[in-house]
Amino acid sequence: MKSMLKILTRYVFSAAGIALILLMLNLTLLLVWFIQTSKNDIREFSTAEVASELTKENGDYLMSDRGKEAINQFYQWAMLLDEKSGKVIWSEKLPTDVPREYTISDVASFSRWYLKDYPVYVWRRSDGLFVVGAAKDSMWKHGVEFPSDQFEKTITWFPLTVIINLIAALLLALILGFRLFNSLRPIFKGIDDLVLKKPVEIATSGILGDLANKLNQTSEQLQQQETALQRRDNARTTWIAGISHDIRTPLTMMMGYASQLEDNPNLSSDERQQAGIIRRQAERIKKLVNNLNLASKLEYEMQPLKLEKIDPAELVRNLVAGFLNNGLDDRYSIHLNVEGDNHKAFVQADKELLGRAVNNLIENSIQHNPDGCNILVTLRADAGHCLIIISDNGKGLPGDVLNNQGAFNALSAIPSHGLGLMLVQQIVKAHGGAVEMKNLPLAGCQINLRLSTQ
Amino acid sequence: MKDIFDCRLLIVDDEPELRKMVKDILLREGYLRVLTAANCAQARQLFQTEQPDAVILDVMLPDGDGFLLMREFRSSSSVPVLFLSARDEDENRLLGLGLGADDYITKPFLPRELILRLRAVLTRTYFPITSKNEGKPIFHLGAAEVDLNTGIVATPTDQFTLTAKEYVLLEKLFENFGRIVTGDSLCRAAWGDNLYGYENTLMVHIRRLREKIEPVPSHPRYLITVRGLGYKLCDGEIEK
Repeated sequence: MKSMLKILTRYVFSAAGIALILLMLNLTLLLVWFIQTSKNDIREFSTAEVASELTKENGDYLMSDRGKEAINQFYQWAMLLDEKSGKVIWSEKLPTDVPREYTISDVASFSRWYLKDYPVYVWRRSDGLFVVGAAKDSMWKHGVEFPSDQFEKTITWFPLTVIINLIAALLLALILGFRLFNSLRPIFKGIDDLVLKKPVEIATSGILGDLANKLNQTSEQLQQQETALQRRDNARTTWIAGISHDIRTPLTMMMGYASQLEDNPNLSSDERQQAGIIRRQAERIKKLVNNLNLASKLEYEMQPLKLEKIDPAELVRNLVAGFLNNGLDDRYSIHLNVEGDNHKAFVQADKELLGRAVNNLIENSIQHNPDGCNILVTLRADAGHCLIIISDNGKGLPGDVLNNQGAFNALSAIPSHGLGLMLVQQIVKAHGGAVEMKNLPLAGCQINLRLSTQ
Repeated sequence: MKDIFDCRLLIVDDEPELRKMVKDILLREGYLRVLTAANCAQARQLFQTEQPDAVILDVMLPDGDGFLLMREFRSSSSVPVLFLSARDEDENRLLGLGLGADDYITKPFLPRELILRLRAVLTRTYFPITSKNEGKPIFHLGAAEVDLNTGIVATPTDQFTLTAKEYVLLEKLFENFGRIVTGDSLCRAAWGDNLYGYENTLMVHIRRLREKIEPVPSHPRYLITVRGLGYKLCDGEIEK
């Protein structure tokens, strides 16, 4: 709604602005035109000048060449009326339909308007009235009258008019804007709902009906896609859960019998060792199945996190002690280094899952370095973060794992380094943390789990 | 009933081969009477006629839910039930519902695991007094004898009484003999909190404890420090 109000305000102001600009532009143009035409009207030879070209010599009137030319060029004909008799005493190209004698009333009439439809101009000379006529219909000639006090008022009224115009423009824009606002409001709400993935159903009447209709359709399609996606995710998770369930029963039997064979004193030690290998591999499959199941649930957010405030130092101490207590092979060593006072840093975490992530990393180090390695678990405080660092001096991570870091897409591309690492990514991501992986310059790799502390 | 091996056991699982394997494992272990059922109906019938002393119950059965079946059994008897589950989700249900299952094992499991858990359940249910009668252990750390009944440490030259906290710490370490006990577990046992804030207190108590049990407290042989993790009680053999 905020953005809509902004749109409305801008709309109103720009509409009013446009109206005002147009008004000013028109006024200016009108003014320019006026000045221009009145300039045009000032002929090269005014009536007075032409009149002055007519001279009287020896009782005869003589028009100079210049005067004649002026009459030809700007007018059509000219005549001089005797002051007393009103008769034409001199003329030039006088048309036949123009009378040769005038009364006072005739003069009053044509001086103001037309003489036989000729627009005429008069100039008073000492010896009579000089009249020039222009071509018919060439001039619109009417006297302009204006009360002088009104004219003064206009000057004060003019700015007021502009202001009134501006207000009127603003009001009109506001009213129109509100209408637009009202018709746009459901559309906006629809778009908002669309963003929130809520179903949208807007009335499709009015000028924006088409738009509303499209929005409704989009919403419907989105909803359908959403359900389809949900269904697919559900199906996938259920499928994986089902598979892992089905694998568990045969695996139980493999582990059960292999374990019995391993303990069978009637078998040779070689045979018992082989049974032990079967048992261990079955246990590996078990771990894989568990990881796969959890990974799919985390991927589709079907594993609720049991978040609690935990001390990461206690968590890693327990895990490392667990590895040592369960009898770590002599080829491996594992050390814990809790740096400084950082175990004051509590984190909000699912103890079980976070433990599983760290466990997976330690197990990875063991599993991928069959010739043995030294594993170091470090806990470090780092400006609002808690770093759980698992490093070893083994073979290091393969290139594709390093290249992929942070970008594992569960189940679509299972990384070569195993599901365990992907699960670590997912668990840490679900905790809002980040995983950093790198190989160490001399040997081995280092994986940092970065979690924000409370 | 002389001992746990006299117990009548009922295995309920729809997978015949798994049923057979579990039965073999139990018979081999020495249990004398092991019954099997493939579904809820059979289980109900056997439960009525044979009145087993313990039930090993699969959660998912073809004609019903193991949890519901247990509730049925429980309405007429307090038979201990050990669940076999093949789904992670079952664990949440088991813990969340507070059904009163005695224990559960997630498939796949090792035979040893099943045997240990079953034995624990049976002992707890049918022979609890025996274990109490045994009293607290008395053990030796080199020349020193520790009696957890009296809380007294006797060395050839002297005799010490353990303080309450020292007793708790030593008992915890003894329960996990040969295994590392983290500082956190020790503090939880003694002070109900994790290590944070108790580092020095714990160290002081361990030192006092060593003064009582170690022949040379500055060079401990029995109560070993595991740097960064915690402590370990061991038999004094020189480790690598």
